[in-house]
Amino acid sequence: MTERDLDTLELLFDAARHQADDPSADLMQRVLDDALTEQRRQGVSVSGGVARPRLLRQFLATIGGWPAVAGLATASVVGLWIGVNPPATVADTAEAYLSSGADSYLVDMMPGFQFDLAEG
Amino acid sequence: MALDALSDVSDDALLVLFANGDADAARLLNLRLTPRAYAQAMRMLRNRAEAEDVAQDAMMRLWKIAPEWRQGEAKVTTWLYRVVANLCTDRLRRQRSVAIDTIPEPEDGRASAADGIQDAARMNALYAALDELPERQRQAVVLRHIEGLGNPEIAEILEISTEAVESLTARGKRALAAILAGQREELGYSDD
Repeated sequence: MTERDLDTLELLFDAARHQADDPSADLMQRVLDDALTEQRRQGVSVSGGVARPRLLRQFLATIGGWPAVAGLATASVVGLWIGVNPPATVADTAEAYLSSGADSYLVDMMPGFQFDLAEG
Repeated sequence: MALDALSDVSDDALLVLFANGDADAARLLNLRLTPRAYAQAMRMLRNRAEAEDVAQDAMMRLWKIAPEWRQGEAKVTTWLYRVVANLCTDRLRRQRSVAIDTIPEPEDGRASAADGIQDAARMNALYAALDELPERQRQAVVLRHIEGLGNPEIAEILEISTEAVESLTARGKRALAAILAGQREELGYSDD
């Protein structure tokens, strides 16, 4: 092995370094498709930059989705309304139960609806 | 986030963004890293189809590892070089000899036909000689003298000491020079 052989080798290395081996557009697209598929598989929202809160989605899935949320909201509003303006039967029943105890009180939040203060 | 806004972001930070679902981070990492992975695989395998398979496989491993990537611990490019080198080695083990007719023809417009043939002959000679080296020597020589990496980075890729890299590349280079001895004129190099 001589200096000349080493010099030949350096010339070959140099030629190899300058070889243009660009990837095909098809490869670039395949790799990008893999990346986006993998992002979806890993369960993060693509392009938003921030993952969606998973707890909310799990809760919705458990109760049956957004229609179930609408049902829950309606029931809550009706319950609140019954509390604020109870029908006569509800008020009587409540009074009957609550007045049976010596230290129970019914407090009328809205006197205009004829809610009486019951004293034991 | 727009690609321009991410252009100054490091590879490992992009990988974290990728794991958080940023599609632009995926695009930018693809643009930055796939050409490197492909070029390295091409230099090691000398086969376009196989190099594409290796590059795609290596990048797929990167996408999969993204959620566990710890920023600042390792360079993404070093990790990728190692994965590509290992995948290429696996393929070379299965098919040690690379057929000369798989070497791509020079592309039109880059050089004259005669220059193209000359370049192909030189690359054939170099890679045929590289094929005769033991595996680790071959890897070290390709990473040092063709990929142009520094010894510390090669040491990290091959998981050996820097001294071992120096020894491998020195022995590899001497062996290559001996294999190619006397072919200078044949390969079209003059002494001028």
